[in-house]
Amino acid sequence: MKDLKHLIWFEDLLQEANNELVRRAKEEGHRALGYTCYFMPEVLLDLPGCFSVRLRAPRSTSPDMATYYMSNRTCMYGRCLLERALEGGFNFLDAQMATETCTVTCRFQEHLQMMDVINNPDFFCEFTDVPFKKNENSIDHYERQLQKHVLDPLRERFGIDTSDEAIIKAIDEHNKLCRIITEIGNYRKQESPVLTGYEFSLIMLVSLTCPKYLIIPKLEEVLEDLRTREADERNPFRVRVVLAGSENDDPDFVKLIEDCGALVVADRHCYGSLPGREEIIIRDGETPLRAIARHYLINNMCARFMEQHIMRERKQYIADLARDYHADGIIIEQMKFCEYWSYERTIDTLIFPRDYGIPVCSIEKEYVNNATGQLRTRFQAFVESIELKRLNREEAQS
Amino acid sequence: MKKPSIKKFLDQFYAVSLGERVVDDIKSGEAKNRRERRHEKIKEKQKTLDPKKVLHDFWYGKEHEERRLGDLYIGNTGLYKHREWRGVPDTMYYFNMIWLYNYAHMVMDILGSDEPLKFFTGIWRYRWIGQTYLSVMHWFDRGLEGLRGPALRASAWHYRGMVSETIRQFMRMFAADTKLHAGEKNDLWYKTIAHDETVSGNIFYPWRDVMDDVPLQMIPYFVTCHVNNKTVLNYIDAMQSIGLPGDPCPMCQAESGIFVLDDYPDYSPVMVTSNEACDGSVATSIITDWFLNRPLYAMPQPMRFDDPLTHKHCMSEIEGCWKFIEEQTGIPFDFEQYKKYADSFNELTEFEHEKWDVAANTPYYPINSVAQALYRIYYSQDGDRPIWHQVDAHVKKIMDKCVEKKLVTFPKTRHRAIAWSCAPLYYSHWCTWAYNCWGINTIINMDSLMFDQYLRTDTYEHALDDLARYNELAPMRSMAVGGHEHIFQLWKYMEQFNCDMVIMYDQLQCKGMQGIKGMFEDEFRKRGIHAIWVPHALPDKRTVSRKEIRSIINDYMVTVMREEPLDPTLVDFDDDESW
Amino acid sequence: MKILFKILKLLGISYVILFIVFFFDLDGKFLYYIWEPRIVARYDRMKRRDNTTTPYTAEVS
Repeated sequence: MKDLKHLIWFEDLLQEANNELVRRAKEEGHRALGYTCYFMPEVLLDLPGCFSVRLRAPRSTSPDMATYYMSNRTCMYGRCLLERALEGGFNFLDAQMATETCTVTCRFQEHLQMMDVINNPDFFCEFTDVPFKKNENSIDHYERQLQKHVLDPLRERFGIDTSDEAIIKAIDEHNKLCRIITEIGNYRKQESPVLTGYEFSLIMLVSLTCPKYLIIPKLEEVLEDLRTREADERNPFRVRVVLAGSENDDPDFVKLIEDCGALVVADRHCYGSLPGREEIIIRDGETPLRAIARHYLINNMCARFMEQHIMRERKQYIADLARDYHADGIIIEQMKFCEYWSYERTIDTLIFPRDYGIPVCSIEKEYVNNATGQLRTRFQAFVESIELKRLNREEAQS
Repeated sequence: MKKPSIKKFLDQFYAVSLGERVVDDIKSGEAKNRRERRHEKIKEKQKTLDPKKVLHDFWYGKEHEERRLGDLYIGNTGLYKHREWRGVPDTMYYFNMIWLYNYAHMVMDILGSDEPLKFFTGIWRYRWIGQTYLSVMHWFDRGLEGLRGPALRASAWHYRGMVSETIRQFMRMFAADTKLHAGEKNDLWYKTIAHDETVSGNIFYPWRDVMDDVPLQMIPYFVTCHVNNKTVLNYIDAMQSIGLPGDPCPMCQAESGIFVLDDYPDYSPVMVTSNEACDGSVATSIITDWFLNRPLYAMPQPMRFDDPLTHKHCMSEIEGCWKFIEEQTGIPFDFEQYKKYADSFNELTEFEHEKWDVAANTPYYPINSVAQALYRIYYSQDGDRPIWHQVDAHVKKIMDKCVEKKLVTFPKTRHRAIAWSCAPLYYSHWCTWAYNCWGINTIINMDSLMFDQYLRTDTYEHALDDLARYNELAPMRSMAVGGHEHIFQLWKYMEQFNCDMVIMYDQLQCKGMQGIKGMFEDEFRKRGIHAIWVPHALPDKRTVSRKEIRSIINDYMVTVMREEPLDPTLVDFDDDESW
Repeated sequence: MKILFKILKLLGISYVILFIVFFFDLDGKFLYYIWEPRIVARYDRMKRRDNTTTPYTAEVS
């Protein structure tokens, strides 16, 4: 396939959190608001006058200082973020809109509160309580929390317009982005996709880490480019897989999978688009904030939800993705020390092959992915096992 | 020709006949020292043979420094060559009122239950009971080692309370258990509510007169692990055998492993789970749901509980739970019942505050740290039961006497310590050892300090309001989540309880505590506090053994505090294979 | 009177025996060396249902 427009530039943008577009938006007077979790609605952080940056710590090596503070027995994602903060890599942030949605990212954000790490006099870190259920009580609660811990501080500290009109405007822009990403993502459903998982992960990540108003025009161009892009005559991929699991903001990890012959057609993980890029719909009689609260709870597939039917339905969701995207298998990845996904992965590994007939490759990984050799072996074996099954099936049919 | 000197000749002679080491010893005066030591030993022996002293030791027991408790152990088994002689009054008290009394009650309590015979089928069926029940008295021995007088008596009553309630709970489980009734669901099965051990028993007061509530993992995992730490290893291994990595909280692993090994009693049509205390508990809910495969209500508490806005949400979740129970059992909510039990529970809370007051401000507190910690977490989680009131009445009598007569209960206290974060379950009695060996008296621990609110019962709204707050501040959670300011309440409590040392539990798999470790280090340094980090893996003794824990404390006491042990035989011994 | 004396004697002997059991930790030794290995062997041999075969679908069965 010919090179996709802007792709090299996207790769460059993802080399640091304070990238070219972030710097430009700051120069234009916008406030940079950091966050780590999907439970912090980015749409509220993209109100006129500010923009959201989902924090990453690209090009991390060994987070030594953060390991002193958080020990080496916590998730490396949290530690790498703290290391980057201690190095001054997040000094561009005007605020961190925090959530206590998993322990280690919570502790990382608490360090920002406690240690005066961010060299910015305006900086503050505000926590939002996020419920564990999707019922009406939880939506009410979440709405109240977003008002008090997101909108009110933004208005009071930075003078951000948090009126319904402003929120509707942010929703419109957000929905525009979602439509673009969804349309781009849908190309992965094709029999011979004109887009690789790696390319899509770059697109998805820039949409999370760059100011929306600056990145949307570029993404529109990418979409336009895709409309005329043609797949290679010879499909270089041997199987198609869904990538599911915990935090993954590393496009090179997706590339590693694809180098082993497995095309990543769906991304159901933190920083992924499924779910994540669905349009927010404001129902009749509903305030825009209520719509946002409902949207971010109902569409969420986080392993943190505890309601009985939700715990069960999220298995079905992954199975449905595999069906819709014509995947041959699922790779379940878990960031080492992630409590939620250690259990979720264990169960998924047993459930999917047995109850849904979908092969699973179950792996544990680090944020700084040094174990590429071992992972490559695992992925190659997984690809071969799927091919073998396919061959056996074909033989049996013939 | 120069004659060799006599000295040189003798040196050579000794070197040949006695060996180089002895000669070196003679030269360095070591032999003299050894001679002196031998003389001292003989003198010591003569002293111990002094009839007056012998009689004194026989009647009152030996002085703390002379006890040599470590000499009583048999190898690494934790068994005793003989149990400690504490003097006539205390040994006979231990024999009659602790050993005989509790063994007798362990039989009588079973006989007084709904279906006594189910005890035997239960023993035959479940590892957690068969392997631990009879070793209960050794649990007493470990926790009460070296104690004398009122401290021995008051601490033992706490243990008695825990044993009694444990028997009540597992006999209820057995009486309703389909696995012990050939798969049949009896009336009790329909009238028992199963819940996570981290869901407070207070929630179920409205049905206490017509139904019972039994935490599912409390006995199979939590309690038994203290009594016999070998049982739980099977459950941890079982969970890892189906693919779980080794790093998640081992408590959650063990709770889940009970299901994997099919070692859980099936005694209820429903299950109530919770997100207490952390991410691991949320994840365990999935395992519970999968394996139990029956109606389940998750009752999460808010994480940022300081925020008043979260409170309403928490109250609604509790109401949701009540509605769920009503729907599933068909038995209506009864506020009068709630009032009755909550009022009664408030009496326990009141006495707890009284205990803290004595512990904080006097040297007359008669409860040792392990009894304080386990009893407190057990009853506050379990909710109101008659046995807690009986125990408190006994303890109050003893404590009042101590205060009145100014009896110093732990006279060898060198340091008043506060234990922070969650304790090693396989070595909760480390504080008994620390007092006996080093004079470190652990006055209070973190888990004891939670659940300290009264429950108002004048109106439904007040009751719900307080109950929600109570649940927000549950054990292992109140300090660990909801903002770093809670975990740093340590400084406040150190002052309140007049402590000069911190025992900082370092649960290696607790992400919440690991995630804030460096800040604690910084603060300890800044404030000049003596803090000993005690690494452990909650129920899993294989990660950090008891011996290693002792060695860390020993190192600190010798190298940093430059102190001598009170009982040198306790400094280094092996108990790896003990219960 | 004789019977009472006999009973008292029996109780006395039992008490002394129990004290010996207590003091020399014979209960602990019995449980550690005899009871526990046997009961553990039974649990290790026990046939257990494979709970991982429990279906985990949208419906609670």
